[in-house]
Amino acid sequence: MPYLGCEETVKELKRALSNPNIQADRLRYRSYITRVIRSMTQGLDVSALFMDMVKASATVDVVQKKLVYLYMCTYASHKPDLALLAINTLRKDCADPNPMVRGLALRNMCNFRMPGITEYIQQPILTGLRDKASYVRRVAVLGCAKMHSLRPSTEIDPSIVNELYALLRDPDPVVMVNCLRALEEILREEGGVVINKPIAHHLLNRLKDLDSWAQSEVLIFLMRYRPRGDDELFDVLSLLDEFLQSVHTPVMAATLRLFLRLAAAHPAVQADALLRARGPLLAACGSASRELRFAGLCHVQQVLRSQPALYSGQYKRFFCGYSEPGYIKLRKMEILVELVNDENVVLVLEELKSYCTDVSPELAQAAIAAIGHIGRTYTEKCLDILTGLLALQQEHVTSAVIRTFRDLVWFCPQSIGAVCRAVEVCGENPQDTEGKQALLWLLGMHGEQISSAPYVLEGFIDGIKAELSSAVKTELLTAALKLFLCRPAETQDMLGRLLHYCIDEESDMCVRDRALLYYRLLQCGVDEARKILLGPESDPSMTVLAGRPEEPVGCWASGFNTLGPLAGADAHPDAPPADSSAQHCHSTEEEVVSKPPCQACPESAGAAEGPRNTGDSQEEPGLTLGPPLSHEAFERLWVELRVLHRQTLGFPPPAAPPETLQAVLQLVKVQALAFSRCEARPWKAYVCARAGSTLVLAELLHGDPAVPDSQDALLLSVKQRPENLQAIRGFVSVLHNALQTLSSDRT
Amino acid sequence: MIGGLFIYNHKGEVLISRVYRDDIGKGRGGWRNAVDAFRVNVIHARQQVRSPVTNIARTSFFHVKRSNIWLAAVTKQNVNAAMVFEFLYKMCDVMTAYFGKISEENIKNNFVLIYELLDEILDFGYPQNSETGALKTFITQQGIKSQTKEEQSQITSQVTGQIGWRREGIKYRRNELFLDVLESVNLLMSPQGQVLSAHVSGRVVMKSYLSGMPECKFGMNDKIVIDKQGKAGASDEAGKSGKQSIAIDDCTFHQCVRLSKFDSERSISFIPPDGEYELMRYRTTKDIILPFRVIPLVREVGRTKLEVKVVIKSNFKPSLLAQKIEVRIPTPLNTSGVQVICMKGKAKYKASENAIVWKIKRMAGMKESQISAEIELLPTNDKKKWARPPISMNFEVPFAPSGLKVRYLKVFESKLNYSDHDVIKWVRYIGRSGIYETRC
Repeated sequence: MPYLGCEETVKELKRALSNPNIQADRLRYRSYITRVIRSMTQGLDVSALFMDMVKASATVDVVQKKLVYLYMCTYASHKPDLALLAINTLRKDCADPNPMVRGLALRNMCNFRMPGITEYIQQPILTGLRDKASYVRRVAVLGCAKMHSLRPSTEIDPSIVNELYALLRDPDPVVMVNCLRALEEILREEGGVVINKPIAHHLLNRLKDLDSWAQSEVLIFLMRYRPRGDDELFDVLSLLDEFLQSVHTPVMAATLRLFLRLAAAHPAVQADALLRARGPLLAACGSASRELRFAGLCHVQQVLRSQPALYSGQYKRFFCGYSEPGYIKLRKMEILVELVNDENVVLVLEELKSYCTDVSPELAQAAIAAIGHIGRTYTEKCLDILTGLLALQQEHVTSAVIRTFRDLVWFCPQSIGAVCRAVEVCGENPQDTEGKQALLWLLGMHGEQISSAPYVLEGFIDGIKAELSSAVKTELLTAALKLFLCRPAETQDMLGRLLHYCIDEESDMCVRDRALLYYRLLQCGVDEARKILLGPESDPSMTVLAGRPEEPVGCWASGFNTLGPLAGADAHPDAPPADSSAQHCHSTEEEVVSKPPCQACPESAGAAEGPRNTGDSQEEPGLTLGPPLSHEAFERLWVELRVLHRQTLGFPPPAAPPETLQAVLQLVKVQALAFSRCEARPWKAYVCARAGSTLVLAELLHGDPAVPDSQDALLLSVKQRPENLQAIRGFVSVLHNALQTLSSDRT
Repeated sequence: MIGGLFIYNHKGEVLISRVYRDDIGKGRGGWRNAVDAFRVNVIHARQQVRSPVTNIARTSFFHVKRSNIWLAAVTKQNVNAAMVFEFLYKMCDVMTAYFGKISEENIKNNFVLIYELLDEILDFGYPQNSETGALKTFITQQGIKSQTKEEQSQITSQVTGQIGWRREGIKYRRNELFLDVLESVNLLMSPQGQVLSAHVSGRVVMKSYLSGMPECKFGMNDKIVIDKQGKAGASDEAGKSGKQSIAIDDCTFHQCVRLSKFDSERSISFIPPDGEYELMRYRTTKDIILPFRVIPLVREVGRTKLEVKVVIKSNFKPSLLAQKIEVRIPTPLNTSGVQVICMKGKAKYKASENAIVWKIKRMAGMKESQISAEIELLPTNDKKKWARPPISMNFEVPFAPSGLKVRYLKVFESKLNYSDHDVIKWVRYIGRSGIYETRC
């Protein structure tokens, strides 16, 4: 890369540009200017040539002009004083009879990124706004936005704002859209461009004339508009209807998002829109370009969150092609898992099985994990396949299968026997850390059913010196001790050796401490150790939470058609989609809160190890029980604090008796203070929870005639001290899931 | 909105960079940081590309790759991803329309032009104008072209006109229409000959050279339309053509087509753009005519030998000829030698591609051809089983595998005195293979 050693080039170019012979020959002159731009692109600092380039701008050749302007826009901020020299030429061009030249000059003048320039460009922009050529008007309108971005702190000129609002009625569609864009940027502090009834209707009527990008942007602007009354709402929806079937995926997706938003109170309309958008979305998933296909798949995943049945007939569309890139295959597998039902399970499993031998280990492991997921419902079929895969004797496959076994056993106790038999005959041990941990956990937990367990464990203990990972060592300690508790005779000797090694020679403190702990535990007696060490073998209650409940559409609709759905599981940790930007700054409170993927409650997130959950659960402070809050203290705090967050949960109150409710909430570490009887109207409940260092108080209300929002759904109001939005978010999603599970359980 | 647009070559060198908004390059180093971040994290990344959208330090990079050129759009905002991708495709289309294939060579040669284009297509990061036809009259590759003032103002009015895709006052001596039905048929078949998935994605591409502002009406053997007409009467005729009608799963149109009319009457009427454009895209999944069947037979003879026999059968009218047939039979990585015998065409083992490539220039319908190969393998102690990639196929056939037929294409122009009969129309069907794979 020619970053360094470039002074020669600059000198040579300078010499050439100031050579009168070259200046006389137009083509040669232009070719040198081209070389300057090329050097600039490659990262060379050619700002020293500014003077010569300014001279070159005085020409009739439009192409040369464009090139020089490009150069000047890049370096104007470095050389503000010299740039002023060019302004005169530009201002002269702004009065040129040719609209193209006028527009070009105006655009570039606005692109100079130096603060002092505003006084020079204000007048030309104002003239440009009234120009008779729409090309110039387009440029001038965006020029207003550029001018504002140069001096964001100065006061907004109301006359410009008014002028822009008036230009929304411009006959040229691009001018109209540019006005929206410019107003949005200028008025950002005040909440962006205002969409009132006349403007909204005007935009809706003009929508057809716009190109696809403008359409999709206008549809986003329209999200801000709330029709008054159902009549207007349905008029708006019927105008939008044809765009649901648009050629362009982005327009279709933007329309769908707007539909979901406008019809938030009419679930039937939402469902209908989703159904009608199914064809276009599927078309996007099968589109020829892989990026669009990827975007389509990500959006289908969103829809599946609330309507898993919608696409299950089309499952074959999500079979992977051999040549597709990994990111598409991974998404397709995730979708296939969601689509499984009684009819297609055999074919889907057959298909997933063929992916297990994929060349890429990552894909193969993902396919195995997918089979494991399906196994929570169709245990037998999946166990057969997984056991068969062990026969392949490939390291990465074996490791993934063992890990899947571990998760499966935890969810479905009925699979323990088959898993133990499979592990028993498996000749090869996994070599990676994750796989080893999973195997050790299985050996420890179900050692009495695996006859070869002590021998396998002995192998691990003999090789402990070569083991690098401390997590594996800790797991090994636990497994050995557990096995000792059920098969003491075979294990005692090796456990002794292991403890000896870990206490005397191990350098890792965690491992050593764990060994010491176990040693002392054993000193207290075997029964003590058993009481502490042997927890439940599986958690069938998890399946209730793991079989994800159908979420209400509102959960994801706000993030639809943005970067959110594409970010997925492996998004860069420090870069969540930049949400705080333009389109979201005035979204209502509800939206801000429903932003994080509504995950299962933290406990299940830890155990389920779904790829979706692991990322977020660590960031959010989990809920803790702490000392219970007294009723008086709660009352005092409730009166004192103000409501920080209010949201309707999309379902009626659970019909369970209060004891059940209390027990369930206890399970997710929420303290219940008071409940109404289940049939009472209005129905009320008060709960509280601790998250990190903050205390969250909440009220659930249903069917109070005084509060219209609570008529047909639960209204949740949250107060908190000290304020911590993230904790509220975590709390709301936990509560939401717990209650939803309860109410869906009943129905 | 888009903060900047960069074009890289395969080495990660920047060929074109255009920054529209300051926010992508705040701080020291400016937008160069963004440029370098993408190179290091995506182009030079050791693993495969994990996603077409990459987030680096709160900046999103959207990229598409054309041969070995990377186009990347950069933004700080939470934008609509599909829109940015569509924009990048459009950008590729525009560039292709100007200078053909997108390659490093071409980009370097048309360097000035690309900057000109980028200047017109986006302003302050907002897409402005991207119809190739309109841009072509607006930016000229030579640049120096002395035009009269009237001409130029006409261009601007055209660029900004109400019907964005057609300008007023077009005249042709011969009114002609070319209509191509281009389909690509995709197939995934199991070794036992069971169709796992098959779909046809088709495009109707038109070239129109018509005077004035003509109104066109296009009709095809769409099942819904034919059923409707069948009800209205002429049941005899409908009964006959009903068999040949096709069910279209979903279709999308060029912006010139009146969607409201399509929704109500299912008729496709439009004022066509001048020159070449894509009228419609559609997909079908039912009753697809699969032009070829591939019957693979792979036998492992011991550890060091593999016998492969592949039969292809053409399944269409004997009077038609398929062209450019290519069958690609993958071979294991440890192949040491291959002997091929084929009845027709030429077959060659390409070690660099790990495949036997069998090419046949022409093949009539209802024929059969066969290739057999003996593959010798090097003994390895690698326990990994060979994953057996599918056998893929390429071809071109002169009919539409979806069964789509053009029934009529009428032109009405009320102001100028030419009628439907005076227009010369050409219709052509081409079926190509998309991803046409048979597992073995």
